[in-house]
Amino acid sequence: MATLVTLPRLGQGMESGEIVRWFKAEGDAVEKGEPLYEVDTEKVTQEVEAEASGVLLRIAVPAGEVPVGATLALIGEPGEEVQLEPAGDGSGGAAAAVVEDGREPAGAEAPSVGAAAGEPARVPLPIRPPSRPRVPGRPRASPLARRLARERGVDLATLVGTGPEGRIVAEDVERATGGEAFPAPGPVAAPAVAAADRVEEVPLTSVQRTIARRLTEAWEAPAFQLTMSARMDRAEAVVASHREADGEEVKVTLTDVLAKMCSLALLEHPAVSSQFAGETLRVFSTANIGIAVAAPQGLVVPVIRGVERLRLAEIAAARDDVVERARAGTLQTADLEGGTFTISNLGMYGVEQFVAVLNPPQAAILAVGAVEERPVVEEGAVVVRPMLTMTLTCDHRAVDGAAAARFLAAVKRLLESPGLAL
Amino acid sequence: MPELSYREAVRDALSQAMRRDPDVFLMGEDIAEMGGSMGVTQGMLAEFGPERVRNTPISEMAIVGAGIGAAIQGMRPVVEIMYEDFTTLAMEQIVNQAAKHRYMSGGQVKVPLTIRTQGGAGWSPGAQHAQQVEAWFVHVPGLKVVFASTPTDVRGLLWSSIYDDNPVVFFEHRTLYGIREEVPDELEPIPLGQARVHRRGEDVTVVATGRLVHEALAAAADAESQGISVEVVDPRTLQPLDEATVVESVRRTSRCVVAHEAVTRMGFGAEVAAVVQHQAFDWLDAPIERVGAHFAPIPFAPVMEEFVVPHRQDVLDAILRTVGRA
Repeated sequence: MATLVTLPRLGQGMESGEIVRWFKAEGDAVEKGEPLYEVDTEKVTQEVEAEASGVLLRIAVPAGEVPVGATLALIGEPGEEVQLEPAGDGSGGAAAAVVEDGREPAGAEAPSVGAAAGEPARVPLPIRPPSRPRVPGRPRASPLARRLARERGVDLATLVGTGPEGRIVAEDVERATGGEAFPAPGPVAAPAVAAADRVEEVPLTSVQRTIARRLTEAWEAPAFQLTMSARMDRAEAVVASHREADGEEVKVTLTDVLAKMCSLALLEHPAVSSQFAGETLRVFSTANIGIAVAAPQGLVVPVIRGVERLRLAEIAAARDDVVERARAGTLQTADLEGGTFTISNLGMYGVEQFVAVLNPPQAAILAVGAVEERPVVEEGAVVVRPMLTMTLTCDHRAVDGAAAARFLAAVKRLLESPGLAL
Repeated sequence: MPELSYREAVRDALSQAMRRDPDVFLMGEDIAEMGGSMGVTQGMLAEFGPERVRNTPISEMAIVGAGIGAAIQGMRPVVEIMYEDFTTLAMEQIVNQAAKHRYMSGGQVKVPLTIRTQGGAGWSPGAQHAQQVEAWFVHVPGLKVVFASTPTDVRGLLWSSIYDDNPVVFFEHRTLYGIREEVPDELEPIPLGQARVHRRGEDVTVVATGRLVHEALAAAADAESQGISVEVVDPRTLQPLDEATVVESVRRTSRCVVAHEAVTRMGFGAEVAAVVQHQAFDWLDAPIERVGAHFAPIPFAPVMEEFVVPHRQDVLDAILRTVGRA
């Protein structure tokens, strides 16, 4: 008896998923627990494991968006008969069997033409030999499309293929670059349009669609911002001392220090560590801090859990892990769930200060600019200090201004006197 | 310009060579009084006499062996194997003798032998008389292999084969003997190893041989009505293969279909596909499609035979797959 493969709910709120690729072809042997296909949800692209062993008899959804619970494939015994769509005409049964024999080395003997002639609607599904394993994450593209993309500096991962089974073909690259005719114009090429008039319609990735929807939601929350600056010489000394220390594989950064100080301030000021939930406020007793990462497929916010309990080096290692995987597009749903607070740092781009948009349902997000030498007044004299400007955006339904100010002041105090975190 | 059938064009090339050159002569089963089982040599006995149009016993091995001996001695024999299916009986002579002497003698011995044969499905001759076996011979170093698809080509290529100093296996297709076209007044030799572009196109290159050239041209016309521009290339000489013309074409169109009547698997088209993928890899926008017979003996029953071997629609389907419209 064949086992149905259906699309599971991989995280809260997941209603559908986009099947990106299969790691097995029809006819391949499948072991329970090995990766079977890749699905693009609103949050991540994730590999899904087979839930049964056997032979992948049939792939019902080679690619495309389907709702949770939809039947994707059948796993069963080798040679097992599965119901197919009735053939288009009376000869279809026999024809299909022979055609498959002609294409695939199912056996050396001549095809038994007519064996299935009496029952055209139900034919044995030919078992194909294992196909070569597909490389996860490598987009399917024609050699010509690959060469054009290489020459024009286009990232194939950003394109949506319109060829058979979603293959990226030359036309897709051409469309993305607005290029003029290349050596092989497609047969259905659109009428020539002057390059200057051309407007590109670039389909959103699943991640981009999610970002657009969630940020629009966030914009509806009553939000306010508070800005504060902190002297950073001591915090920078902490970073420097970690980098000098032996045995640390991952370099500690200012983001790690910020995460640590925010986690301590959050526990001290639980109003900021909360979420507005309609009739209640959810208050968290641990700091799961999200780090905004500019990944190739769009903005993602992987979460580091229990930051208040981690040493700086541990935070750095956890941060390095999720950021690398965010850039590689291999984050799992669990990496993105459960955040209680978010840090968005654009300091490395030279941004002095900025305002971040809330990351719902979280009540607060901290926008961090660059550390720069600025003139400040201390004891009646102008001196130059390394300064950092932070802007906290809060959901006013969960946090009021005074609580937010106390939280921000606590972060400032910890940054300026890191020893207080001990 | 005179109009000749494919059959008459073969006869014309043989006759002109024999009139010009006393070293050229014919051997084969029933080729004299009967004029060959396909009527190609009809009337030649009367013109050239029994010394030069020689009937042989029913022994393909003897026919080719005698031809090799005569060729080594300086003649330019043309031997006929009645059906290409029967080349099996002469394989030792063709593969181990004709193809090897020039190499093994350090170039002292040449074998300017032409082995004409014909075959193919389409008239229900049954599994032992309907095969297309050119792939066996293109696999043998030392042989040249020709498969002509039009009267003009068969005349010019047969001439060049007779005057080539190497053994040439020369394939004709049974169902093409009746096709007619205008040919040049003067026989124009066609160099071996030179493909012919039958039709220029921009979207897909179909590399076809023998009968499938005509099926491909018909499919190209069908495709054109759907807005797909198809180039049709006939290599004509399968060994040596005109790789440059094929590759240049695919680099322009970025898509390729190879088509022949022989079974697809391990066929001549597989070699063409390998050449194309290697030399035009960065130009390919779709997998190379292959069109050929199903991997089965050719059935006797006409409806089954029709099903097993490829036709115009099969070529069209392959074209549509390459442009993602199947």
